[in-house]
Amino acid sequence: MAEVMDEIAREIRDNKVLVYMKGTPSFPMCGFSAATVQVLRDIGVPFKAVDVLAEPEKRDAIKVFSKWPTIPQVYVGGKFIGGCDIVREMHARGELAPLLRAAAGD
Amino acid sequence: MTSPEEIRHSIERAFPGARVHVEDTTGAGDHFEIEVTTPAFSGKTPVEQHQLVYQALDTLMPRIHALSIHTAAS
Repeated sequence: MAEVMDEIAREIRDNKVLVYMKGTPSFPMCGFSAATVQVLRDIGVPFKAVDVLAEPEKRDAIKVFSKWPTIPQVYVGGKFIGGCDIVREMHARGELAPLLRAAAGD
Repeated sequence: MTSPEEIRHSIERAFPGARVHVEDTTGAGDHFEIEVTTPAFSGKTPVEQHQLVYQALDTLMPRIHALSIHTAAS
């Protein structure tokens, strides 16, 4: 578990916009992951996606890492901002795009 | 599987006096949408609010396949 936790910490540090999801952006394997990717695409910033279905150990580790029991999980600028519901709500309020653009631009 | 009643009771135990709405979105007992409004959420970020809800549902989570959460402070 320790090794995969380190890897997660590196991914979060090295990717300004990062989503842990089920499946890939082209082939999401869950409605919540699909909806989250759709929001990120609407905003149009580049993002990195990690498919936890391809990495079972990471699927468990990310839940402990974020203290969050569900997938997807979105990190922006090194900070956990939430799962599908929070991302969608922030997008509906117009709060997500500025946050993502600020993170992607620096 | 679980039930809207079981979920509501768990949340009400954790947040006495909260306004709680639970919907079984497919009727199959494993997809739920829940809304929780409580003063316990004031001053907390959305992430912290959802984490509190997940904690309240800790023992039920393995029996839930999909969960949508909406929280607000009252």
